[in-house]
Amino acid sequence: IETARVFDFEEFPTRDKVTYMYYTGRLEVFNDNFIQADKKLWYALGHCDPSKDANIRMILKYLVPVKLSLGILPNEWLLRKYHIMEYNDIVQALRRGDIRLLRYALQANEDQFLRSGVYLVLEKLELQVYQRLMKKIHLIQKQKDPSKAHQIKMDSILKALKWLQIDMDIDEVECIMATLIHKNLMRGYLSHKSKVVVLSKQDPFPLLSGKPCA
Amino acid sequence: EEWDDEEGEKVALQQWEDDWDDDDVNDDFSAQLRTELESASAVAETPAA
Repeated sequence: IETARVFDFEEFPTRDKVTYMYYTGRLEVFNDNFIQADKKLWYALGHCDPSKDANIRMILKYLVPVKLSLGILPNEWLLRKYHIMEYNDIVQALRRGDIRLLRYALQANEDQFLRSGVYLVLEKLELQVYQRLMKKIHLIQKQKDPSKAHQIKMDSILKALKWLQIDMDIDEVECIMATLIHKNLMRGYLSHKSKVVVLSKQDPFPLLSGKPCA
Repeated sequence: EEWDDEEGEKVALQQWEDDWDDDDVNDDFSAQLRTELESASAVAETPAA
C-alpha cells in the first residue's frame, strides 16, 4: 500500500491556499484562538485577488473582530471601502472608552453579528473599553492634580458609568476592576476598604498590541 | 489562475494601527467625562485623615 503523499502547502494554487486559510481562519475564530486566526486570515487577505472586493469583504468580516481583540484597529477608510461600517462604532468605542457606544453598536447590529458568529468575540471587547475609560479618568485626574492621579475613587468610576447610562453598583465595579487587573489590562491594586483603585506608577494600562487578552 | 500579488491588496494590509493609544483628552467625549467627574459627588467625600 502506497502511503499518502505529504503535500507541501506551497505546491497548491494561490486560489486554493487563500480559500483554505479563510475557512481554517474562521474555525480558529470560533475556537477563540485569535493568534492563529489572525495569521490565517491575514494570509488570505494578503494573497487574495485584489480586484475581488466581495472576497476581501468576506475576509475582513472575520479579520476585523480578530484584530480588535488583539488591540489592533482598522482605519475608517478600510471599513468604508469594503462596506463593513457596522464595525465603525465599535472602533470608536474602543478609542474613547465609551461603554455605552459599544453596547449600542452590539445591539444595533446584533442579528448580523450573531449570524456571522462574531458576536461573542465583539462582546469580549468590553474589557478593553473599560481599560480605555479608566485610562481617560486617570489622564483627566492627572491634568487636575498629578500628585493624586494614581488613585481613582470608586465614586469617580461610578459617576462616569452613570453618565454612560451603565447601571452598576459598587460591587460590580469592583468586580470589573479586579478582572482588569487579573487580565493585565490595568496594573495596580484595589482597596476594598477605602473604595479606591491604586494604579501602578509604571505603565498602568499596558497595551495588547497584537497579544490576546490574558 | 494566478494574479499579480504586488498591487491593490497590499492596500488593505496597510490600514491598521497597533499603536493607536494616546494621552489625548481633548476630544468631546473626554471633555464631557471631565465635566461629569468634576460635578458634585452623589456620595459624600470622606475628609482627609
